[in-house]
Amino acid sequence: MYGADIEQIAIELNEEPEKLAEFEARIARGEKIEPGDWMPAEYRRQLIRMISQHAHSEVVGMLPEGAWITRAPSLRRKLILIAKVQDEAGHGQYLYHAAETLGATREEMLDALLSGKAKYSSIFNYHTTTWADNGAIGWLVDGAAILNQTMLARCSYGPYSRAMVRICMEENFHRKQGQEMIIRYSQGTPTQRAMVQDAITRWWWPTLMMFGPHDADSPNSGLLIRWGIKTRTNDQLRQEFVNQLAPDLQACGITIPDPDLRYDEASGNWLFGAIDWDEFWRVIKGDGPANAERMAARQQAHDDGRWVREALSAYAKKQLH
Amino acid sequence: MDTQWPRYEVFQQEAPDKPVLHNGSVHAPDIEMALLNARDVFARRPEASQMWVAAAERITSRTRQELAAGEPAPSAAGEPQTYCIFGKLAEQAQASLLGEVQAASGAAAIAAAQTEFETQNVLRWCAVPLAALLKSDPAEAGPMFAPAREKTYKDQAEYPVVTMMRKLRAGKGLDE
Repeated sequence: MYGADIEQIAIELNEEPEKLAEFEARIARGEKIEPGDWMPAEYRRQLIRMISQHAHSEVVGMLPEGAWITRAPSLRRKLILIAKVQDEAGHGQYLYHAAETLGATREEMLDALLSGKAKYSSIFNYHTTTWADNGAIGWLVDGAAILNQTMLARCSYGPYSRAMVRICMEENFHRKQGQEMIIRYSQGTPTQRAMVQDAITRWWWPTLMMFGPHDADSPNSGLLIRWGIKTRTNDQLRQEFVNQLAPDLQACGITIPDPDLRYDEASGNWLFGAIDWDEFWRVIKGDGPANAERMAARQQAHDDGRWVREALSAYAKKQLH
Repeated sequence: MDTQWPRYEVFQQEAPDKPVLHNGSVHAPDIEMALLNARDVFARRPEASQMWVAAAERITSRTRQELAAGEPAPSAAGEPQTYCIFGKLAEQAQASLLGEVQAASGAAAIAAAQTEFETQNVLRWCAVPLAALLKSDPAEAGPMFAPAREKTYKDQAEYPVVTMMRKLRAGKGLDE
């Protein structure tokens, strides 16, 4: 449908064809769309949906690792982990601000998260059961996120793309500290090696699911690609991730939990087995291992912060009037 | 109870010899809080020596297309004041500070800036009244920006993973 001609799309979206054509011409010229510019209502809606989901993911993403700050095995690892969790909070802020330039308010975005209306990345609904999970999250989960975010750093909406440039730079620290941790433990004591193997075994498949459904089942992709929000598909990004990670994990002596994984000379790709999409949809729809726990923690943080918001609002009122 | 606070635009200079760049926005109840929020959001890395904020509603902005399409000549009414002129010079770039002009309104400032800075190929102009800007106090640059500089473990270059992988692939130990 979205490869279709512009007249059709204008009717479909109830937009004026001339305005839509000029908008698409701007994107074709590589121009960035900025907050005050004309944009189709659907472009605005899709961006608010994506950016707020992304912001929620950063904020909820603090929880699985944050739980390990008090149990870090060394002062260095503790400093790194605190900085990383603080970065995730900061990324949430960049992104909420970017969504706010489109007219979304913080209040409605947070309401949507806490009421379960808005989604966030499925990966954060899994538990972190050992210290090595922090390494696996850094290397695998943040590594996967960087692929997606590097693409979004080129997206057509200016504020989102600029937020992504900053986020990618900081995520590289997240990925590398995780990779360094996994490499070291993989060459460490038998206990450390077993801990790392267990972590990768549990995080491998959920990380592949992070890229989202297969292209054929991804209803928003066509329009997002047409308008330069996304430039690559879920399946393309997922394949690139496997191509990067498979040889590196194997070089560490780690077994990837996929009997079908093999290098294909002809395509230059690492082919992988079938993803358990039932699990993916179950987690997305709220029934993953930790969904309820994550939302309860967010709700409590929101409630505990109420007095701060009230105090700031009272002060603001005094300033403004 | 939660209400949407006004938006403030954030400008940042990485080092004294670098340009002042538009960095993004924050929401805050007032301009002092906006500067603190901006510091927390945008200066977690060692790349700030100065930060400015201004209420978004005080900023005038025009694209090259809007200017080409023509608009009524800005009225000369009002007291002239100093405007900081920012220009976006490439689609991928952040707007950067080009200089200052004296004008009676934001639109007049942009009109004046087009003549003053005509050598630049500006895609989007912004005029910010100098009086609307709150700048970080140079005397406080230490406590505001120095802590990030000491936290070298936040720098990806601290993690030599490429070298480590090369050693493993060559069948060597990490310390060899």
